[in-house]
Amino acid sequence: MNEQTSPEAKAAPQPASTYIDAELYTWLDAASEDFRAFDPGRVAEIDGVHSLLASEARALDDQAFGPWLDLYVADCVYWVPSNWPASSAALTVSLEFHDRRRLIDRVDRLGTGLAYSQLPPSRTARVLGMPEIWKHEDGRGHIRARAPFVMGETRAGENRVLSGWNGYVLRQTDEGLRIVVKQVNLIDADEPQGNNSFFL
Amino acid sequence: MNMELATTDRTDGAWDQVVTDTRVHRSVYADPSIFQHEMASIFAGTWVYLLHESEIPNANDFRAARLGSRPVIVTRDAKNQLHVLMNRCTHRGATICREKSGQAATFTCPYHGWRFKNDGKLMGVPGRDAYGNAFSRDRFSLGRAPRVESYRGFVFATLNQEAPDLETHLGQARFFIDQWLDQGGGDGLVVQSSAHRFHLKCNWKLIFDNAGDGYHVPFSHQSLLKMTADRYGGGDMTYFGDADKSSMRVYDLGNGHTLIDQREEMYNPSAWKQQRPQPGRETFEGSVAARKPQDEQSSTLDMAVGSGMNLNIFPNLLLIGNQIQVIEPLSVGETILTWYATTLDGVDEEVNVMRMRTQEDFPILGETDDAANFEACQQGLMSIPEEEWVDISRHVTTNTDRAERDGIVSGPVTSDLHLRAYFRRWKELMKVKPNIQTRPEGDAQ
Repeated sequence: MNEQTSPEAKAAPQPASTYIDAELYTWLDAASEDFRAFDPGRVAEIDGVHSLLASEARALDDQAFGPWLDLYVADCVYWVPSNWPASSAALTVSLEFHDRRRLIDRVDRLGTGLAYSQLPPSRTARVLGMPEIWKHEDGRGHIRARAPFVMGETRAGENRVLSGWNGYVLRQTDEGLRIVVKQVNLIDADEPQGNNSFFL
Repeated sequence: MNMELATTDRTDGAWDQVVTDTRVHRSVYADPSIFQHEMASIFAGTWVYLLHESEIPNANDFRAARLGSRPVIVTRDAKNQLHVLMNRCTHRGATICREKSGQAATFTCPYHGWRFKNDGKLMGVPGRDAYGNAFSRDRFSLGRAPRVESYRGFVFATLNQEAPDLETHLGQARFFIDQWLDQGGGDGLVVQSSAHRFHLKCNWKLIFDNAGDGYHVPFSHQSLLKMTADRYGGGDMTYFGDADKSSMRVYDLGNGHTLIDQREEMYNPSAWKQQRPQPGRETFEGSVAARKPQDEQSSTLDMAVGSGMNLNIFPNLLLIGNQIQVIEPLSVGETILTWYATTLDGVDEEVNVMRMRTQEDFPILGETDDAANFEACQQGLMSIPEEEWVDISRHVTTNTDRAERDGIVSGPVTSDLHLRAYFRRWKELMKVKPNIQTRPEGDAQ
């Protein structure tokens, strides 16, 4: 910290982030495997999931980052693995792996208006395929879902298509169903990427 | 003077016109014929970094790579010998290896089934009798880099029979490679943790230019510095805000290699304390405080932080932070840039976990803005022939260069010394026609 030259606003990093630990990584590995399992027998219709996933996608297309963050719990993980299938985040670098604090860093950086990779900003249109939804209750979540996606993106006159599938862990909270984990598996996660400086 | 005409001229005088100590002609970034020349004179004529030995630790491991734009397979044979083989069947030209990495004692071309050992020798040709008695398998070995050498695990190759040995090529940079490798602690570097990969629509040199550019930070990365100031009151790279007033210098290490040394600023007093918080910070700090003696805590925390060095090994290896960046030119306006993540052998796992989160920080919060600027440079350079020059004159007239030990020259961190240094090497190499071989004399197939 540049303690001599920055008198203002340098209390504890905010918000504090104490939940990224060895236990979380182990649990994420298991969730990752669970997302990949093909098990038609477990898939069910569960109220509230379609609308939550639709709202999440819509918020990102609208770049409505405040409302978007409201859909995530305080101890959330936003994860874009760099390989296929995803290996453990503990000892593999991810294209993105954020706790809530670093998610807000990302949002605030874009909010400065000075993030030149988003000048002009990307326009996106994401199409989520019909999600598989299943119950999975543990200490962190109640429901899981997996949905394929195709996303059109245009920026500065260039169009791209990004595609893959998302794995979600969802939790029933007093405010309603919220996202605990979103794992974005790009089909070309291990290939060179273009300008992905927006959220996937 | 019509430079467009001059750039078709390949005399020494012409190279001296397109690159001087204060400016570079746009054709150097935009002309496909100059790019082709580079693929011979630079990316075959001098040592090109391919991979770290820990990526292929076992006998019969292999990984695909590029020597310039040439696809190659780097193999470790059954006797642990390294080979750099042209990924091209000697029969009809198909790539024989279509996997990124793996284990293979042999490679079989999918087209007609010609089979090669992982040292490049042709082993089997289906229906060989039809080629007659004079057929010699030896003539059809895979093409190869005749010279492959490692420095502390970094594997380089060249096609130039007459290039100086690797240690001579690395020269003064070796001392800093040693520092880069040793400062993290542990028993050695391991490159097994995946990578950030970027496909950039720009000439490869725009990436190399930026690696030694201490001038752009407060402008290109203004969003990052502002967010960091707003949320955390400063830290991480804030010292670049008024960089000419800092103690940081950029160093010309010779042979086109350069260094930006941020360590004095970054480790003052602790790199960990300056670092913007990454996921897992509190857990790691808590564990180190609980388990390590007081006098080891700060150094343990700093093992998870970047190196504070931009160590640029001409033409394609950048050791920045704790990542190994590799530049692979595909065409005059298209380049793959890969940031390989690193872990340390023989340290507590939590150090390496924290290193993963640290190494994700800049690729998404900073590199994307750099990449947008590189591509914007390429657009400007490709599209307006009347505007011919790129300026590299910063700090040429300020008398701020300083002679350091062993012939190293340093300048203020915002100086264009880095560009002038590597372009001098670039020009030396471009003027020479290297003795390029991919197979022994008399073995031209």
